[in-house]
Amino acid sequence: MLGGRRAAKRRGRLTFDRVSFMAVFLVLPLAIFAIFVISPFVQALYYAMTDWTGFSPDMRFIGLENFVKLFGDDVFLRALLNNVVLAIVVPIVTIVLALAIASMVTVGGPSTGTVRGLRGSGFYRIVSFFPYTVPAIAIGLIWAQVYDPSRGLLNGLLAGVGLDGFADFPWLGRATTALPASIFVIVWGFVGFYTVLFVAAIKGIPAETYEAARLDGAGRLRTVFSITIPQIRDSVRTAYVYLGIIALDAFIYMQALNPTGGPEYSTLTMSQQLYMVAFRKGQFGYATAMGVVLAVVTLMFAAIVFLADRLTGGRADGKERT
Amino acid sequence: MSSELKPFNRRLFLRGALATSLVPVAGVLAACASPGGDEPKGTSTNGAKSAENPFGLAANTEVDAVIFNGGYGYDYVTFAGGLAEAKHSGTKIKVQPSTEIAQELQPRFVGGNPPDLINNGGAGKISLSTIVDQLETLDDVLDATNYGGTKIADSLYPGVKLPGTFNGKFVALNYVMTVFSLWHSASLFEENGWTPPKTWAEAKDLGAKAKAKGKYLFVFGKEAANYYQWTMVDSAIKEGGHEVRLALENLAPKAWSHPAVQGVLKEIHDIVRAGYIVPGGAGTQFTAAQAKWSNDQQALLYSSGGWIENEMKKATKAGFRMTGVPVPTLSTSPALPFEALRAAAGEPFIVPAKGKSPAGGKEVLRAMLSNEAAANFSKTRLAPTIVKGTVPADGYGSTALVSQTKMLEAAGQHIFDFVSEGYYGMGADQLVLWNSFLAGDLDVAAMTKGLQSVSDKIANDSSIQKIKVS
Repeated sequence: MLGGRRAAKRRGRLTFDRVSFMAVFLVLPLAIFAIFVISPFVQALYYAMTDWTGFSPDMRFIGLENFVKLFGDDVFLRALLNNVVLAIVVPIVTIVLALAIASMVTVGGPSTGTVRGLRGSGFYRIVSFFPYTVPAIAIGLIWAQVYDPSRGLLNGLLAGVGLDGFADFPWLGRATTALPASIFVIVWGFVGFYTVLFVAAIKGIPAETYEAARLDGAGRLRTVFSITIPQIRDSVRTAYVYLGIIALDAFIYMQALNPTGGPEYSTLTMSQQLYMVAFRKGQFGYATAMGVVLAVVTLMFAAIVFLADRLTGGRADGKERT
Repeated sequence: MSSELKPFNRRLFLRGALATSLVPVAGVLAACASPGGDEPKGTSTNGAKSAENPFGLAANTEVDAVIFNGGYGYDYVTFAGGLAEAKHSGTKIKVQPSTEIAQELQPRFVGGNPPDLINNGGAGKISLSTIVDQLETLDDVLDATNYGGTKIADSLYPGVKLPGTFNGKFVALNYVMTVFSLWHSASLFEENGWTPPKTWAEAKDLGAKAKAKGKYLFVFGKEAANYYQWTMVDSAIKEGGHEVRLALENLAPKAWSHPAVQGVLKEIHDIVRAGYIVPGGAGTQFTAAQAKWSNDQQALLYSSGGWIENEMKKATKAGFRMTGVPVPTLSTSPALPFEALRAAAGEPFIVPAKGKSPAGGKEVLRAMLSNEAAANFSKTRLAPTIVKGTVPADGYGSTALVSQTKMLEAAGQHIFDFVSEGYYGMGADQLVLWNSFLAGDLDVAAMTKGLQSVSDKIANDSSIQKIKVS
């Protein structure tokens, strides 16, 4: 009783320590968040409802006209579709590859002795991380050269092994191959990072679990599905959301690989279209409306991933497993 | 999972991820350059006007010029700035290069402190329709006398005001005389006994001859496939006359279905089908594609403007006598003669009305239009300016420059221009179509539909201010 009252009193008193603590750890971050995150967001919502050209201080409020125009704009809808495809394919492919590599270098080694990775797994781990250390724009420019129809490394190799049909094949210039080729580049750039992430997660699983599974006769594939994936489920979900957000943007890669949006707009992303409408066509109000849609799509994507995870038996965020 | 802290970290991680992804997405446009509360004030300072100082440039003014740093560089403006500084002691001309004009200057336009002079060029140029109301009219520049004492208007090629005049307001001074044509190596053609094609039938014959030699007729790159739209449109205008041009320029419905346009599209489609175009263009970077013409001589002809010589300077084979010819005609009795030419003053310079010293911007233009500055430009950039009589007969040793002067003379009165593509910023959408068309993925009907829908989109958008081309 007495102790409780004293505690309440202590809580109420504003000492210098408490005030300064609150200022540094609560007020300051909150202010930064409000100024740099919330306020641009609110501003953007407003601009999305104007006909602002971006080059004058004058604008007219036009309500939802931009959004109506947006959903009748076939180029933007194509970009939206491309982004959805990216947000589905890029995370799945990256995660499957990264998981496979991570399993091989941690628990996929010889089936006798202690549970360990393949011989030389340290080397593979480092090499797979290399692409992540290269800036995205450099990755895009390098691969744009690799894909060059007549001088590119890829067609050179393919023609070199006798596949003459690929001499002069424009990987980024065909509507059918441009998007897959671009997706490959993004995956190539990120697989190493997620390998390292999953390796760290797998290391957190007690080795005894794997040993027990092995004694029970589980093969490598069974081990992956029955032990590794359920145990690192949270990491996989995080990776999925992260990669999805990258895929919903994808601006740098696409701008470097196909600055024009690709054949028949097959690689155009919403962010590219937004940039073009804003700076090339001088329709900032319209472009901001695109930004708002992109933000909503991103939020929906995150919500869907969390929901799917929950429905398939994942635990609620933040609750400790017992 | 052994660590208790992990889920917490991950949550923070995720939130950070979400927040960082959303900020740039939705907030960037608003955050980088939103209109402030303050009404920009016109702080332009003026001195007294006189014949020597026709725009009333105040003493000791610092003039701020932002110049597109592209094919022509920017130091030719610095050179002209030097002339202006010598003329008005105390004046300082600050010339800054930029490769992304719209992106860099957008906040300055919104903030009401744009530079005094802008060379609005390159792929990242400002779409003029958005700022046309914020620009000074430049009639007084042409009314002034140049540094040699001649009235500037009298020293220029005829019609130079046209491409910079929108709805009767002359707001952009286009400095470089740009000729649009097909380019080839006169030396290569001589060696093989080829002649540049005058009709599309001849072009197809030449394509067959090229193929026999293991070469191609045309080459294109993915960022510049729409250069062939210029060839196509110019040829259609020559075939059908100015009615074709006006229909396209004024975004008329069915403009792209005109028989002349259809005829030329079909010819180009035949050339694509016959395999006379270097394959893989839709996946090739455009300067790499251009080098296949100027350096590898894999293709015989390339469609481009007069800047091509300067642009490919470092990637042109020795002995390549670069020469321009007008685009082929469809029939042998076109409405305009074969010599008719799309040529216009290009490289627009604009003077924002809200700059600190619009008079200073105009004074730099006056210096650029002096014979000395114009000759300097032609000599160092191998391209003609709008100032007459500043290119000697030998074209400073440039065959391309000589051929441009010749084409201009031969065309006489039959010089036309095409502005709607740049004015409305339609190039990006048309480019996508041209890549597919030249790769053989679109037939004439689908191409027509695509081009028409690009025009219609602009025509039907009431938020875009239209111009009337005549």
